[in-house]
This record gives sequence, C-alpha cells and structure tokens, in this order.
Amino acid sequence: MRAFNAELSKLFSLPGIWLAFLIGAFAPALIASLDSIAQKEEIIAGVSTRLSEVGYIGLALGVQGVIILGVLAVSSEYLTESSESGGGQQITTSLTVISSRFHFLLAKAGAVTVISILLCIVAIMTTVSATYLILGEYAPAFEWSRLIGAVCYWTFTAHLALGITFLTKNGILPLAVLIINSSVVSFSVLLYRVTKLAFYLPDRAGAEMFMFTDNTSTGTLFDGFHTPFTGGLVMFAWVLVVFIVAAVVFHRRDVAA
Amino acid sequence: MSVSSGRKLTQILGAELDKLVTLPLIWFTLMGTFILNLVLAAAFTSVGVQRATGTQNILNIGLASMGYLQAGFIILGILATCSEYTGGQIRTTLITIPWRGFQLSTKHLALAIITIPVAFIIAASGVLYTFIMMRDTKIVIEIDTMITTLIGATGYLTLTTLLSAAVGALLRRTTPALVVLLGYYFIVSPLTRVFLPSNKNFLNYFPDTAGSYMYMPSSSDEISVLTPMQGTGISMLWTLSFITVAIVFYRKRDA
Repeated sequence: MRAFNAELSKLFSLPGIWLAFLIGAFAPALIASLDSIAQKEEIIAGVSTRLSEVGYIGLALGVQGVIILGVLAVSSEYLTESSESGGGQQITTSLTVISSRFHFLLAKAGAVTVISILLCIVAIMTTVSATYLILGEYAPAFEWSRLIGAVCYWTFTAHLALGITFLTKNGILPLAVLIINSSVVSFSVLLYRVTKLAFYLPDRAGAEMFMFTDNTSTGTLFDGFHTPFTGGLVMFAWVLVVFIVAAVVFHRRDVAA
Repeated sequence: MSVSSGRKLTQILGAELDKLVTLPLIWFTLMGTFILNLVLAAAFTSVGVQRATGTQNILNIGLASMGYLQAGFIILGILATCSEYTGGQIRTTLITIPWRGFQLSTKHLALAIITIPVAFIIAASGVLYTFIMMRDTKIVIEIDTMITTLIGATGYLTLTTLLSAAVGALLRRTTPALVVLLGYYFIVSPLTRVFLPSNKNFLNYFPDTAGSYMYMPSSSDEISVLTPMQGTGISMLWTLSFITVAIVFYRKRDA
C-alpha cells in the first residue's frame, strides 16, 4: 500500500502529467462537440446514420490522455538525468526502496489504473454535457453499460501503454505508435482491408465495448464484429499478454542495461 | 582568434552534422521508418491488387503510406533539437558557438542535408515496391510525373522535419513536442477535415494540407485545390515562420 501511495505521488509530481490530464479531460468533449455540430443538421432532417455513436466517438478518439499517462509513468523512471545532477536514473532509487520488482510493477499498474479510471469519469462527464448542450433533445441516451465499456477501454489502453514502455524503456516509440493507432487513420483500419484478423487487434476489439453497437450490416469496418463482452475480453487478453511479457523481461533485465 | 565567416559556417555545419550523425536514436528512427514504409507499401499494394479497377495509379498506392511515414520524420525533427536539452549538451554547444541564431539555423540546415536524401530514398522505395508488384497490371506511367511527384514528396517530408525541429526547439522537451505534433497531424487535422467540410478553403492553408498538394496528383473534381507550387509556398512559409519564432525565443531565453 505504501508502494502504491509512492507511485501515486511520483505520478502527480511529473510535469508532463498535467498535459495528460488536460488532454484526457477536454479532448473527448471537443471531438464530441465537433461531431455533434456536424451531425445536428442530419439528425434534425432525420437522415443521420450514426445517431447512437454521437459522443462516444469522442471517447474512442480521445484516449491520448491515458496513453501519455501510461507512457510517462514508466519512461520517466528510465530518463537519465543530466550529468550535472549525477546522471542517475529514477528506477535505481525506486528498486532500492521496493526491492521486489513484481511489487513495483503492480504498484505502478495500480496507480495508473486509479488515475485513468478517474480521468475517464471526468471525460465522460464533460463529453456527455457537451453533447447535451449542443444536441439538446436529440442527444442519445447514454447507457451505463456502454459508459462502463468506455472506462474499461481507457484503462486497458493505459495498461498497454505502460506495458509496452516497460519493454522499450523509451517513451517515443510507444507514444508514436499508440497515438497514431488511436486516430482515424489507425493501422487496424488499414490492415482490416488485408485480413479479417485485424478485428482482433486491441484497439479495434476494445472499441466494441462501447462503439459499433447497431447491427445495420453494411459490410464495412464500422460494423459490430464482437459483442461488447467478447471485445473487452480480446482486449484484456492483449493487456494480459503484454503484461506477462513486460513482467518477465523486467524481472530478468539488469537495471542499467 | 578571428575566423572568416565562410570558414565559421563550414565548421559549425560540420559540428552540427557530427552531432546528428552520432545520435543513435536518429538511425533507429530512420531504419524503423524505412521498414515501416515497406510494410505499409506491401499492405496498400495488396489492397490495390485486389481492387484492380484500372483507375488506380501506382503513384497513388506507392505514396499512400505518406500519412504514416511523416510520423517518422516528425520524430526525427524533434529528436534533433530536443536531444540538446537532455543533459547539459546545450551549454557546451553555446560555449563553443556563442552565436545563437546562427547556430540554430545551421542546425536546421544540417538536418535538411540529412533529411533530403533519406526522404527521397524512403519515398522512392515505396513507389518502387508498388511498381515491381504491379508490373503485370499494365498501368503506364510517365517517368517525369513520377520524378516531380517524388521530389514533391521529398520536399514535403523535409519541410515537415524542419517544422518539427522548430517546434522541438520551442518546447525543448521531447514528450510535449511529440504529443502536440502527432496530435495535430493525426488527430486534429483529419477530424477537422471530416467534421468541418464547409471550412475546406480555410483548412487548405494549414501546413499539412497545403503540403500534401506537393505530392498529391491534381484531381479535377474539387474546386478549391491548390497547385503544387502554391502548396509548396504555403508550407514553406509555415516552416520558415516556425523556425523564425524558434530562433527569436532561442536568442531571448535562458538556455
């Protein structure tokens, strides 16, 4: 528990974390309101095809905040300080204090989980209010099951970022890959045209927890392929695999290496 | 010791090139970008072969990966300037070269010298791969269109790299610079194009959209497209103004 508190305190004292909070809390609302403005005319005319997705699209594309959170939580530990202040890495201090590497990993993951859940709840509140503000009576009803799915999606994404950064030790690669992959031009959209296995990629499967719920089959990428539950399960399996690999590598690796 | 200005320039340029070449992360980035580009070209080509409608252009398919490719060059630009600030390298740099504006412009020049050949090779490799794979589909291609398009793509990638370097010099930290640039190029820009189609004329003047006209084949069905030259001019203007702002801040700010 003290390790968990220490991790929380380390996370809150990172300067970059405020960027993550800012983006996490307001980017989804911004995207959702842009989408709502674009959709409003179609909805009033009654020709809208994705009424049930309005608002959720912000939550799907606005995960950058937790990606930054997960990446920074680990990459800050491995950042080499300048030679003027000793040229050390925080990770050596952390592992001196918490000698069990497994406990360290768990504490870190726990801290990231708590913060990303809180961040997602804030994001849901801003997104829902932005959607209601713009669409008024046309706003879709936000169901609890889908909102919980969104929270799971955010938490799993943060964990993927955390696990991948434990493997690379440098924040640039996971940040670039995950941010591109959470955008509209993600790799899964591209790969889907090549193989149907792309539906099992973590971001695509995870998004089914709250997106793509209406089953008007048009044969495109935006159809439901999994049920929300299996989508979540697929993404959880990815998180689990990444975590096991990260834990094994982290356990075996020399800190300085 | 007084050194002539021309000699000074070559010495600083040599030093900046040396610093860039010895950064291991730059080579990882470039190699990663190259491999990623080939993988993406393969994916796009197999999609193109499946469709095989005949209207598909080899250049279009070969350059379809540009959208992803620019990420590698954004990282390259940010690394070039932000690496000075991890550790105290910037202070050593400024002790040996006390002319700040001169130093930063030379850094951009050195970066451009590295970027131009690499960007050309990477862009050409994608097109070449597509060309080899789709040889038998009998699509004729004029060699001069191909060359102008490749030069446009190279120019776009170089300008993007220099813009990222300027933003990196402004923000001085890798993570925020990366988040801001990738967020703009991959999230904000595509979304505004989808959600605000009425502002299309206005969006044309942003660096990535304007720059994309440098290599996009001109399509006649749109009214508000820019010519390649206009696109080049606008994105060059963006890059130059960002570099200027970066230099102004660099001169004023405590290192």
